[in-house]
Formats: sequence, structure tokens, C-alpha cells
Amino acid sequence: MNLLDIRNLSIEMDTSQGPIKVLDKMSLQLREGEIHTLIGESGSGKSLLAKAILGFINPRWRVIADRLWWNGSDLLSMTPAQRRTITGRDMAMIFQNPRSYLDPNSTVGEQLREAIPSGDLEGLFLRRRADRNTRVTRLLHRVGVKNHDEVMNSYPFELSDGVAQKVTIAMAIAHKPKLLIADEPTTAMEPSTRAQIYKLLERLSVSQGMSVLMITQDMGSIIPASERISLVYCGQLMESGPLEEVTQTPRHPYTQAMLSMSLHDTDKMQPKQRLTGLSGAIPTLQHLPIGCRLGPRCPRAQKKCVQQPRLDKVQDQVYACHFPLTYEQADDKPDAPAGPKPADSDKEQ
Amino acid sequence: MSCLLEVKGLYKNYIHKSGWLPGKRVCALEPISFTLAKGESLAVMGETGSGKTTLAKLIAGAEPPSGGEILLNGERLETGNYRQRCRHIRMIFQDSLGSLNPQTIVGQQLLESLKFNTDLTNDEQIDRVNKTLMKVGLLPDHFFFYPHMLSSGQQQRVCIARAIVINPQIIVADEALVGLDPSVRAQIINLLLDLQQDMGISFIFISHSPEIVKHVADKILIMHRGKMIEFGKTSELIKNPTEHVTELLLQSGIIKNQL
Repeated sequence: MNLLDIRNLSIEMDTSQGPIKVLDKMSLQLREGEIHTLIGESGSGKSLLAKAILGFINPRWRVIADRLWWNGSDLLSMTPAQRRTITGRDMAMIFQNPRSYLDPNSTVGEQLREAIPSGDLEGLFLRRRADRNTRVTRLLHRVGVKNHDEVMNSYPFELSDGVAQKVTIAMAIAHKPKLLIADEPTTAMEPSTRAQIYKLLERLSVSQGMSVLMITQDMGSIIPASERISLVYCGQLMESGPLEEVTQTPRHPYTQAMLSMSLHDTDKMQPKQRLTGLSGAIPTLQHLPIGCRLGPRCPRAQKKCVQQPRLDKVQDQVYACHFPLTYEQADDKPDAPAGPKPADSDKEQ
Repeated sequence: MSCLLEVKGLYKNYIHKSGWLPGKRVCALEPISFTLAKGESLAVMGETGSGKTTLAKLIAGAEPPSGGEILLNGERLETGNYRQRCRHIRMIFQDSLGSLNPQTIVGQQLLESLKFNTDLTNDEQIDRVNKTLMKVGLLPDHFFFYPHMLSSGQQQRVCIARAIVINPQIIVADEALVGLDPSVRAQIINLLLDLQQDMGISFIFISHSPEIVKHVADKILIMHRGKMIEFGKTSELIKNPTEHVTELLLQSGIIKNQL
């Protein structure tokens, strides 16, 4: 069963220009122990989706969803208290700039001791304190910090980027959550540190059966272990599917553009070749285009794109485009028995 | 190609002084020598604290070197002679909004560098600014905009316009492509490549993104703990790196490893 099942989630904000859908019919499914990467540029609403899952949404915004299920129970129909319990027990989040999410006034050790849930401790008064300390040490070892005494006695500003992020991960996994949401945890980090954090998240996901929802900006920083990826643009889901299929045979023009812009296959390109990217800039919230929001920047856009495309499916790959990219050999074989593809009928018109 | 920039034995020490005792000397950059030809791009890579930003600052003249010399077209660049240096070497920073004056319109900021460095008349200056704005993909109308009214990509374009407005020979880009959205970053990369082709500018990229470096740079310089450990052509360095650090820094393409 899916741990998290989101169908057609929209978030509406009221502005002076009328209501704006910041997230428009997002869908996302997450199984237990799965790593899912969500990719979107700034203003795509990817952090907003994370907040909607956690329930940290401004009460004045309207959250409408066909389904927002956590482990089979509907999150939207719960009372705030019930929801808080679930969020506190099963979910955790880490952020982009780890040092700013740690308390600068107390040592890392104090903060980690605080993060250990008291219910788990064993024994009486003094035993409990010792138990808390051993748990903190074990936690630090689990996230790959070897010099635990030194780290526990230091203040956040004394830590390097990588270690600080490991500490926030340690705090996040202290109560053994089922879902960890990582909101751009490695942006502006060096590649070597980034690789360490990725390995750590991967290991935790395997060893503890924890699902990870990774949020990144760039195709270049996808966590290699992620099974599925989703691309969001301006609050709309563009494409979603298994990592290999999406990166090898992108269906949506946006995916293709993102792939080319991430410079992932520099070997095939001439050095200093101009990149084929999207022209123009990301529209602001007040000036979102109607229909497919990529429309004005899309290289394949036509008149029809003012209507929002339905989600189409090829095998496991879901995409929302009237004029998707097609692949001759790959398409014919698996799709032949299933009848004509909706994508093809679109092209003929 | 002739040699445009030549750096000979350039080094930088900082002195940490505490109390009356003679200060402790910290070597931020050990003697370094390299050359850069006209129209070439050099990428400087390294971990944090490896001295790559120090090198950029020394070349741009933002800090005085402790020793060594920098030759531009065979001519020695004097420390403190900003008039001479800033005509030929310009810098772009990571934080584009932070490096623009928030209280002045864009056009005025571009005019300032012309006023101080050229003998053009007023009309010629305005004409040059408008042409530069067009060159970096903005409109002459953007002359009257304040920096905060522009998007982050446009702000970076203004920074580039300010760098190229007096036809420099070298541009030092210190992490100028970090923190931009992928689509904007691709546009800025294209812009920089176009400018290099049209104006024959040499670039010095300070970066830690292997993908970008592999794509744009002709030569790579690897720094480690204040030392230059490798220097060579991009293709050769990727094929057979001699140091382990180089391999780590250049290993990239998380997607590619998957496929």
C-alpha cells in the first residue's frame, strides 16, 4: 500500500487579483522505503507541497484534494490535533541551510538530547539520563559522525556544512519517522559533501525502511538511489516516473529541457556548445498563464496548450502534455497491444 | 594565441595578531604560476578554504598580494593602481543583488564605470550603456529600473553588463552561477559563451560544479589547501587526473552514474 497518496491536490490563495492556484492538481504516490525526488525551479510550489503534507499551511489558504491519504487514512478530514500527532510521530523534515535551523545559543549535544523522545527511555531517573546520552551517541554514529564528543560539545557555528546537515538529519530521525522530507538539503554544498549526505540518506532509507521525499532544484542533483522522480513547474505536475525511464526517454518538453540544462551528458556535447534551454523567465504568481503553465516558454507549444492537458501514461511514466516527445522503437513494442496511444491521436489533429 | 595574463609566483599570507606577540602567519595561497591566453576560459576548482577565492581577489586587485607579480600583456599590474587594473579585469559575484547598489538605477551604475574609466562624452556613454544592455539580453528600457525590480536572472545580466561595459580583457566570475535556477543558469552560460566569442574575453571561473566547468572551461586549475596541485587542459585532466583530489572534484553526473 502507498504510504502517502496524493491525488489532484490544489492550494488556492486569495490575492487582490482574485484567487490563485499556487499548486494545481498535483499527484504523488510514495511507497514505504522509497526515495522520491521532486524537481522544480524556484516558485514551482515544491516546498509548498511539502508543507501541505506536513500540515503547515496558512489557514487562509484553501487546500483542495481528491485524496490526501497517509497510510490509508484521510489527512484532510482529521482534526488539527489528530493531524499534529501523525505529523509529529511519523514525519520529519530537513532544510537547506542546516546551521540556521540549529539553535545558535546551545551546544549540539543539548539540542540532540532534547530531540530524543522521552517515551523511549528506559529505567529511572539517573538511568534515563545515561540512556539519553548513549542514544545521542548512537544516533550520531548512525549518521556518520565519528568524533561524537567533539561535535556534541560544539556550537552550530563551529561545524562545517556537512556535519551540521548530518546533525539535523540525526535530530530528524531521532523518533524513527516513516517519512523524511528533505527540502534542498545539499544546495550550495560541495560535491563531496553532497555525495556523503546522499549516501547517508540512502543508507537510512534502506536500513530503517524510511521513505524519503527529496526536493531539489536541478536535474544534476538527483539522489542516485531515488526510484521515481517528479518534475513540477509553476505548481503543475509535468512528468513523473521511474528515474531511468524519465532521464532516458523524457516525454515532456520540460523534462528534456531540464536534462539538457543540467549538462548531464557533457561527453556527447561539443565543449562550449550553446545549451538548448527554455527562453524567458519563470512567471510570477500574479501572471501565471492559463492552461499548461509552461506554454509561453515551451518549444513545442501550440494553440491547444491554453487548455490544461490531462495526465497521460506510458507504462510507469506519467506526463501532462498535448504534444509529448515520442520514441519510435521504444513505444511500438510495449504499447502495441494496448491500442493507440492518446499522445498519437493528439499529434494527428 | 598570445599570452594575455601571466601570473608568476603569486602568494598571499595573512597575519593573525593577538596581543603584543608577533602574529601567526597563515599561508592562504602558496606561490602560484600560470598563464592564460586571449579568449580562453580558466576554471579554478577546489574545496572550501583551498584558496580559490583568494586567488580571484588577488587577480582582480581586491586584495594586495604578499609577493609575486601579475603580468597583463607583458605589462606588470601594480598593486593599488585600480585605474589601470579595473579597465582590463572585472569581476562578477555570486550574490548579484548584493553587488548592485539598491539606491541607484541600473543605467546610472553602468554609466559610473564609464565616467571613471573613459573619455567618452555624455551621449556616447548613454549610447554605449544602451548597446551593452542589448548585448546582455536586456532592453534599453531597463536603464531606468532599480535592481530590486528585476528578476534574479536579469540582475545577474546587469552585473555582466557592468563588467563588460568598458570592454575588459578578463572577467573573473566568483561562483557566479551558483544559486540560479537551471533555466536561468543555462541562459547565463549561453550569454557568457556568446560574449566570449564576440568580444574575445577571457574568463576565470571560480566554481565547484564539475558539469559547468567541463562544459565551459579550456583549462582547469585545481587548488588544494592553498596549493595549485594540477593545471592543464580540460580534456586531458578529465581523462587522466594524477591526483585523487582532482578525481573527486571532477567526478560528477549523478544521473550519468546511474545510466
